[in-house]
Amino acid sequence: MKTLRDKYCVVGVGETEYSRASGRTTRAMAVEAIRRAILDAGLTARDVDGMLDYQGGDSTLANHVAPDLGIRLNFYMDVMGGGSSTEALIGLAMGAIEAGMCNTVAIYRSMNGYSEFRIGGTGARAAQPVRGLDLAQVPFGMRSAGQNFALTFMRHMYEYGTTSAQVARVKVAHSRHASQNPKALLKERVTVEDVVGSRWIVKPLHLLDCCLETDNATCLIVTSAERARDLKRRPVYIMGVAGRVSKPRLDFHWAHGPITRVAGYYAKDIVFGQAGIGPEDVDVTGSYDAFTFTTLLQLEEYGFCKKGEGGQYVSSGIIELGGGRPNNTSGGHLCEGYTHGMSMVIENVRQLRGTVDDYCPRAAEGVHTYDYSPGRCRQVKDAEITMNLGWAVPPTGSALILRR
Amino acid sequence: MPQPVQYRGMTLIVPDNDSEWTEFYAHARAHRLVVRKCTACGLMRYPPTHACPWCMELEWTWQELSARGTIYSYEIVHHAIQPGFRELTPYPVVLVELDEQRGQPTPDEALRIIGNLVKPDLTPEAEANVAIGRRVRVIFQDLADHMALPQFTLADEPAPARVWRLPE
Repeated sequence: MKTLRDKYCVVGVGETEYSRASGRTTRAMAVEAIRRAILDAGLTARDVDGMLDYQGGDSTLANHVAPDLGIRLNFYMDVMGGGSSTEALIGLAMGAIEAGMCNTVAIYRSMNGYSEFRIGGTGARAAQPVRGLDLAQVPFGMRSAGQNFALTFMRHMYEYGTTSAQVARVKVAHSRHASQNPKALLKERVTVEDVVGSRWIVKPLHLLDCCLETDNATCLIVTSAERARDLKRRPVYIMGVAGRVSKPRLDFHWAHGPITRVAGYYAKDIVFGQAGIGPEDVDVTGSYDAFTFTTLLQLEEYGFCKKGEGGQYVSSGIIELGGGRPNNTSGGHLCEGYTHGMSMVIENVRQLRGTVDDYCPRAAEGVHTYDYSPGRCRQVKDAEITMNLGWAVPPTGSALILRR
Repeated sequence: MPQPVQYRGMTLIVPDNDSEWTEFYAHARAHRLVVRKCTACGLMRYPPTHACPWCMELEWTWQELSARGTIYSYEIVHHAIQPGFRELTPYPVVLVELDEQRGQPTPDEALRIIGNLVKPDLTPEAEANVAIGRRVRVIFQDLADHMALPQFTLADEPAPARVWRLPE
């Protein structure tokens, strides 16, 4: 298998605040997130000559954002898409640098995902005409992400006996993590009873099984390992990446079962093959928790537990801080805020640097207490390898393995 | 192009050059459920597409189906996204595995189709009656002179396998 293992690094991360009323344009937010990532890396605008971003008709393009910061580009591309784009674009950034097209790439996502274009399909999106492939589902009142995925989740409960209470443990774990995260939209810890007692959205999803639509911009900077060695931060090496790996019949994936199988089934060999490791070597996972269930399905498919045993895995305590392999230590999309996948990669970069921005007074210097009681620490001790499990829809996903 | 159809606040558009849906809906309006069948390998596919996903053949014919099947999965929408669906909540959406071509060409593949589970009067079926494994048949909901939606209604037939619904 071809691999570029350890030849490229994530050297800078940045984000704006997580809110539900940014009061700013996506252009203004993107500029701020990119600026923070450049400064975080110890770079200048002149050092960045590549730009990638993704959106769904709800953001500002690179050719407007880059000049705002005085960046002259040798390569840029605006990509259509949402979840699973983060890891895919990291791979494309490596490819662009490897091809000699540019040297350092800033990847951003900027979205007023609550105040302007709601991801759930309400607001402006609800008024869009229905045509083409959408005719196979939208006329039946099936439009939002939750409505799109619920058939998969329900079938999992039927096939494997997965229960609402088991799945709720994902939200419980992520809420515990968010209580250590000053940036998180929801810092309050919740219980299984809170989750299963919250109102139904689309069965089998309760309100608290769903993530938080958010206004936010995020940025990651990718460059060669050679360049990274001179920079001020500890380099975080890219061991393996898989981008938008898909199941057959992407047009109507329910035709190709088992429908409880998600794209990670196909992505795992690519990403673990490049990295030369297995799931047992991963210290921290970052799942795309658009819903509680997406975490469970991905952990199963990448081999962190057996297929069908995700309910037991997420209820075992292993995914919580202090457990064997914590997942979404920032609180993720369920509690920190929804960023279309970017923030879980940013969190893992910070975990590997040892500088997670928790409540420890000297966190920025890498001094942590490892006290996981509320309002304290969320740094994982000696995290060496992290993995991100990107998700777009059940049949499409991406993955990324990082090491320090 | 016929006028776009207005249905529950949505504008459903089938342009003249969209041969796959134009003809599918014309058959549906005549209350026939049809899918495209590959003339080379004989496999049927839904939704209607331009090439055979198994052999890339471009030639196909419309094939009428028995329009009977089994609920493979379902969901109950309590919080409607589309305003026109709010008065229907809670409403069921079902994924139905049709009787033809089950387990072909590989064991987990099948002709599956999405619709609402409705009573014979086209109002949403009561939630207590929605379950994986129950038998259903197609019922057509006429929307315009050229368009009808295939929906599903419960069939008075014994379930072939385990019947299961989300515990209360």
